[in-house]
Amino acid sequence: MESRVLKPILAVYVAAFLLFLYGPFVVLTIISFQQGPEGGPQFPIIEWSTYWYQHLFGLTPPSRIAPLPVGEALVRSLVLAFMTMVTSTVLGVMAAQAFRKRFRGANVIFYLIVLGMMVPGVLTGLGTSLLANNIIGIERHWYSTAFASHVVYTFPFAFLVMLAILNRFDASVEEAAWSLGVSPITTFRRVTFPLIFPGVLSAMLFAFTLSLDEFPRTLFASGRDQTLPLAIYGTFSVEIHPNIFAFGVLTTLFSFALLSVYGILMAMSVRRARKMAMQEDIT
Amino acid sequence: MAYDLQLSHIGKVYDNGTPAVIDFNLDVDKGEFIAFLGPSGCGKTTTLRMIAGFETITSGDLMIRGKRINDLAPEQRPTSMIFQNYALFPHMTVRQNVHFGLEVKKTPVAEANRKVDRILDKLGLTEVADVRPTRLSGGQRQRIALARSLVVEPDILLLDEPLGALDANLRKSIQNELKLLQRDLGITFVFVTHAQSEALALSDRIVVMNAGRVEQISAPRELYTRPSSLFVARFIGANTLISGTARTSADGQVQVDSAFGPLAAIAHGAAVAPGAAVSIVLPAEAMHVLPGTLPEAEARGTHGANVIPCQINRLQLVGHIMQIALTFPNGDVVSLEGHEDKYRGLLVAGASGYVAWSPQDATLIVG
Repeated sequence: MESRVLKPILAVYVAAFLLFLYGPFVVLTIISFQQGPEGGPQFPIIEWSTYWYQHLFGLTPPSRIAPLPVGEALVRSLVLAFMTMVTSTVLGVMAAQAFRKRFRGANVIFYLIVLGMMVPGVLTGLGTSLLANNIIGIERHWYSTAFASHVVYTFPFAFLVMLAILNRFDASVEEAAWSLGVSPITTFRRVTFPLIFPGVLSAMLFAFTLSLDEFPRTLFASGRDQTLPLAIYGTFSVEIHPNIFAFGVLTTLFSFALLSVYGILMAMSVRRARKMAMQEDIT
Repeated sequence: MAYDLQLSHIGKVYDNGTPAVIDFNLDVDKGEFIAFLGPSGCGKTTTLRMIAGFETITSGDLMIRGKRINDLAPEQRPTSMIFQNYALFPHMTVRQNVHFGLEVKKTPVAEANRKVDRILDKLGLTEVADVRPTRLSGGQRQRIALARSLVVEPDILLLDEPLGALDANLRKSIQNELKLLQRDLGITFVFVTHAQSEALALSDRIVVMNAGRVEQISAPRELYTRPSSLFVARFIGANTLISGTARTSADGQVQVDSAFGPLAAIAHGAAVAPGAAVSIVLPAEAMHVLPGTLPEAEARGTHGANVIPCQINRLQLVGHIMQIALTFPNGDVVSLEGHEDKYRGLLVAGASGYVAWSPQDATLIVG
């Protein structure tokens, strides 16, 4: 009885969810194949073409439409996301490792770390910019001030992921290694790290994707050179052409590729973890 | 001569003030097989983990071969530990698991390989050497854990309920292997268990612990026949406790006034002061059941001085063993068993009878 009512409702809900999630992307994709250079970012499609993709890479004859000014911003964003990913994951693993022992003030420090993802980005961005400009007196750059604000933002995510992973970690494996005469550092490198690797992978993914499309903090903290989200936003203020959609499609595909790599690595790790769980079941 | 392992006045208090282990004293000779036995939460595992270095020691001295090691990190101690859940490295093959300890100690490759091969062979693991341990049975994984710990040649092997995760049959056979292995290697084993049968079968000496304190340290036979505290008397074997008051005491002979009348007992340890509250620990094996048709004087004469009348509730023959359930006058129910030859045709279920025992088969405890 319950399921007869509930099921259709849930089905509609899920369908709506997927529609809202992928609808924009579908529209984006369709319009990106608009004819160019006359075709605009609207329906109907005059004629299907890959003009805007070629335009993106400068393969079209010069026209009145300027190339999308995102090349450098894209490189900047990727470098920034990579730096953020490495830094936040390293910090996250280390902090979560520290939290395995209850130390004095652990609670306070926990909330201080997590605050980084709770505080509105506009405020931290503004704060960072004021701090850099007026108090410390340094120039703002994407690789300095913006990088710092990205780390503050993504570090808590990496930290929480690693905390959850280490909570379920069986410490006796580490003790076994110590007891064999293996130093704690080698134990971490050779035993702990391989076993928590799925978690590290998730932490990296979080940090990378969050940094890649971070907007409010970067807006204030990055100074003169723009990152990708800022550059894209900047193009909206002029005139929108389908080349921006073509670019959107490409970046989304890139994200999917990234997710696939993550998924494959994760599946491999999970298979190993499942074997481990089986081992524990029997014992 | 220095002992292999020495714990003197070892104590552990948790950060929140709860004492876990109180004044633990033990001297272990090289090659001894020591069992820590007690109910869960008695501090036996904590003590073992203090020896391994996983738990800090609050007070006292921990010595291995005469050297104080209280402050050494686990990896610097000449101990190696076997865990109840084996704690094998799931991302390494059996060979890599066993090889790991030697590898980080920078043992020359040829020597390390020879040692690994030898221990794998000794424990019957050669055929599964290149398999991940997750695929193997409990018994095999137990052996991998042993191989991994033994290959680094520890002075002392610590075992934390190593048989707890195995089924009963496997437990028996691994138990035998373990004993043989220990004899063969001649290294000291310290073994934590809550199963008295394991402790009694395997160890040279047993440390019985309760609520953080050592109750008794004795060889298995002595522990079984001569418990020194009420806790041990209740925990080990199947004993009946008869409380009373000590009366006269001469040459270790003690007369005990009990609810069942005067009973004769022998004090094996310290002298018992007259008027002291005492308990007679009566092992099931020491009791002889006699038919109630016998005159009391004759019953008294058959098996030593002590006789208590009882009610025979139930008789059951299992193979050659007669299982007897009886009730004492104070309502205590006691089960015991004896060979059928001794009891067949003699006892009648539902009838009255006597329980008789010789004073030297029982133990007197103050308390």
